[in-house]
Amino acid sequence: MDGETGTKPGRFMDAKKGFLAAVVVAFIVYPFLVSNYYIDIAFFFGIYALLGLSLNIVLGEVGLFDLGHAGFYAIGAYTTAILNTKFGIPVLLLLPVSACAAALFAYIVCSPIIHLRGDYLLIVTIGMAEIIRLGLINNPFGLTGGPNGVYGIDFPAIGNLLVIDSSVEFYFFIWIVVVLSILGLIRLQHSRIGRAWNYIREDELAAGASGIDVRGYKLLAFVLGAALAGVAGNIYVAKLMVVSPESFTFWESCLMFCIVLIGGMGSIPGVIIGAGFISLFPEIFRPFAMYRMLIFGGVMIAMMIFRPGGAWPRKRGTAGLVSRSVITEDIHD
Amino acid sequence: MKRNTLLTAFMIIVFLVPCGISVAASDTVVIGLQGPITGPWAYEGEMAKQSCETAAKLINDKGGILGGKMVEVRVVDDAGEPRTGALAATKLVGQKDVVASVSTYGSSICEPASNIYEKYKKVNIGYGVTAVSLTQRGFKYFFRTCGRDDSQGKFFADYVPKKFNAKRIAIMHDNTSFGKGLAEVTQSSLEPQVTSGAVEIVYYDAITPGEKDFHVTLTKLRETKPDVWYFTGYYAEAALLVTQAREIGIECVFVGGNAAINDEFVKIAGVDLAKGCYMTNEPLPGDLPYDKAKEFLAAYKAAYGEIPSSPWPIYAADALNIIAYVIDKTGSTDSTVLAEYLRNDVNGVPGITGPIGFTEQGDREGVPFFMYVVDETGKIVISK
Amino acid sequence: MQVVIEQLINGLTIGSFYALIALGYSLVYGILKLINFAHGDFFALGSYIGYTFLVVASALFTSQVGLWGGIAAAMVIAALCLAIVGIGVERVAYRPIYATGRLPAVVSALGASIFLQNTIMVIWGPRFQAYPAAMIPNIHLNIYGINISVLQIMILVLSFLLLAVLYYVIQKTTFGASIRATALDRDTAALMGIDIKKVILFIFTMGPGLGAMTGVMVGMYYRQISFTMGWNYGLKAFTATILGGIGNLPGAMFGGLILGVLEMLGATCISAAWKDVFVFIILITVLIFRPTGLFGEKTAEKV
Repeated sequence: MDGETGTKPGRFMDAKKGFLAAVVVAFIVYPFLVSNYYIDIAFFFGIYALLGLSLNIVLGEVGLFDLGHAGFYAIGAYTTAILNTKFGIPVLLLLPVSACAAALFAYIVCSPIIHLRGDYLLIVTIGMAEIIRLGLINNPFGLTGGPNGVYGIDFPAIGNLLVIDSSVEFYFFIWIVVVLSILGLIRLQHSRIGRAWNYIREDELAAGASGIDVRGYKLLAFVLGAALAGVAGNIYVAKLMVVSPESFTFWESCLMFCIVLIGGMGSIPGVIIGAGFISLFPEIFRPFAMYRMLIFGGVMIAMMIFRPGGAWPRKRGTAGLVSRSVITEDIHD
Repeated sequence: MKRNTLLTAFMIIVFLVPCGISVAASDTVVIGLQGPITGPWAYEGEMAKQSCETAAKLINDKGGILGGKMVEVRVVDDAGEPRTGALAATKLVGQKDVVASVSTYGSSICEPASNIYEKYKKVNIGYGVTAVSLTQRGFKYFFRTCGRDDSQGKFFADYVPKKFNAKRIAIMHDNTSFGKGLAEVTQSSLEPQVTSGAVEIVYYDAITPGEKDFHVTLTKLRETKPDVWYFTGYYAEAALLVTQAREIGIECVFVGGNAAINDEFVKIAGVDLAKGCYMTNEPLPGDLPYDKAKEFLAAYKAAYGEIPSSPWPIYAADALNIIAYVIDKTGSTDSTVLAEYLRNDVNGVPGITGPIGFTEQGDREGVPFFMYVVDETGKIVISK
Repeated sequence: MQVVIEQLINGLTIGSFYALIALGYSLVYGILKLINFAHGDFFALGSYIGYTFLVVASALFTSQVGLWGGIAAAMVIAALCLAIVGIGVERVAYRPIYATGRLPAVVSALGASIFLQNTIMVIWGPRFQAYPAAMIPNIHLNIYGINISVLQIMILVLSFLLLAVLYYVIQKTTFGASIRATALDRDTAALMGIDIKKVILFIFTMGPGLGAMTGVMVGMYYRQISFTMGWNYGLKAFTATILGGIGNLPGAMFGGLILGVLEMLGATCISAAWKDVFVFIILITVLIFRPTGLFGEKTAEKV
């Protein structure tokens, strides 16, 4: 039964459409009701949503363990920052450039290691991200500004016509990008590529035996995931006007990982919810001061105990979460 | 359906919570304080907060400003990092009732933060930011009540080689704006002595802040046999460096820059290792001779038990005082008016750290430097 | 030459910290296939408990013998406390999740890590704490021109002792055989009559206990502790485990030592700032040519 785009007619569909409409209306109306501080929080929610979606391609759809996604995010961010401050190239133009830079980096760097299994791939992705981050801190060729980073990045603009420089404008900018990404990703999910990805996730050996170019599809996933993360980097930097290596630590990669897992692997609405949880939860619980991160950690554990499939699990496929016999589990690492 | 109800409830809560929070309208003048309340410099941040609150209280006890309005300090934590610094600045800029801000400690945090204040045209006065580059950007709204690294570097070059009879000097920094900046001006201040052959810079390199293990770097340093070792970074690393250096047999004199030695340094390194360490520094709170200083320190001590152990919190208090003074004098809370007045009309206004005046670029005029040393009991005193 | 030996000792000291933490990490990882992100925080918590004990007890120990007794007591107490915490975390955060798969366990482990880290912050505060200088032996020796401190000697001796004991237990005893069997294939081991519960108990007391003792040693060596110190060590331990080979317990030990020496080499030959990059590049290169780690992984492959 295909549950995504609704082949089921009747009242259930109307309720779902209604719900979706309500959500959209809420998103549009929100920034006009609250102060700048809260619009900014919603902006960062959007960034994390985009990052979650980008990791979802690699981790959710294909099932590749990637704990170094912050590295691609960093490449996108710094590409924008450096090219804008050193050469004055407009930020908006740099959006596709950053995406390509991150994608190219992913292609070059992942090619030799794409065949690694499970945990070994995991440690290599962690290593890659750390190498990127440390490289940024050490300021090779004086480009990256070291631990202080790069500052003075312009606002995204098209001449004088469309200048995005207020909280509200950034909010709409990121969420429009997120919506476009979601549409693109849904199309991918339903395409040959998406199906091949899921097949690889479920049973790599069988997929290969069926004639799927496993290596090619895995690499494609990384490249697309990196590109989307690069886009997020560009928008993040434009908003903050400054970029520093602190934003791209191993911890950030872990947060992205949690977004995908808590939301539901391979599930787009799940990822949005996961992003909401990760970015909004600490804010909502700010009044609890010291204890809010304690609660955050506790909730994460609870989520996995009670809803290991995620807040909104992907309906098609088991996504590797059903208990399997130990023998296949060990080997399918 | 149950899941959808749950989600809807979640979204409603998320939606309503921020809407429900109202902005307090009040009869106060709000001055922002951005500082590292958490993070690697929490110690400094905490003192700065206490300083500003003491200063505000003194103003309010005397009747407030603008005809009886009370001064309120709004503290925003920037955690000592450039990114969170930018976020903190954005937050203060977004709050309409904040007139001006005292911001911040740490030149590398101040760079992006002051960038944001400038873009949104809000007065911001730095209190623990000594990198020369900060006032070379042509900004109109940025000032600082503390001194600059070039004065400090010059002081080092004039004073240290003579005092310690030093020929071989090692300079170590931490690659931050401040640390690297200070190292660079020190090096250029030493140029004339280097060319004349009186002094040789035998070591010039950086450590990575946040690292704990410096044994390898220090062994390298030891092999260059310096007479004096100048570390221009912050106190957390300074303490670790000194303990590990003494362990591996580095005997030379250790001189810290003005962020390297405070009570926290003495606590971590232990009095045995900390004593005999020198520091180039602005006058410490206890050594300030001015009346306003005595008044402020008495109030601070009454509230918190002891006076601040570093000069930066005092500069923060002075920043707050001067903002309040200018608001009162101009009768306005408009940033452009305040900035103009600060730049042109503030000359010799009595402050806790002496007469306050700003140059055309926003620098503080006339900040002296002294050589301090940690004595036998762990106290930091002016060295003879 | 002396400098080389000194640097080697520095590298081995750091390496033995990594090895001890990696061993605890590998015990859990190899047997339960669970990436215990909280392990670094066990280490940090141990360090803090040791700190509290030493601060409290410093009044009681005045002579040198008392000093060593104090340090030993601190380690033992920290290890015991962490053994209890370890079992607690296992019961609350991991046991309910074994059946559901590996990835939810990763998130749960991250949650446990955040929880522990912030518990430390709530109890001891966000600022650095310093191990009391009076309780740390501050004697330095100069043997044939090599600078070495008594503390370093103690750390090296103790670490090698612990590692040797654990190596012996795991490789040579029957109980050790049962641990290795469980690491190989949990269900079959259970079918063979091995008490899995005992094995799990062992790994969740031994691992955190070792981490705690390492924490006290690190606290004394660097003097400064902060509530985020666990994170970095946890990452290095994970790296060491993979370097040695998943599920290979002696491999994790050697992986840790090699990691420490590699870091030292990177710092001396290239630059302190690039040492971690150097280490990761070596790691990735090793994995490209030996995909199951330096010492190999002992599993069967389904064809």
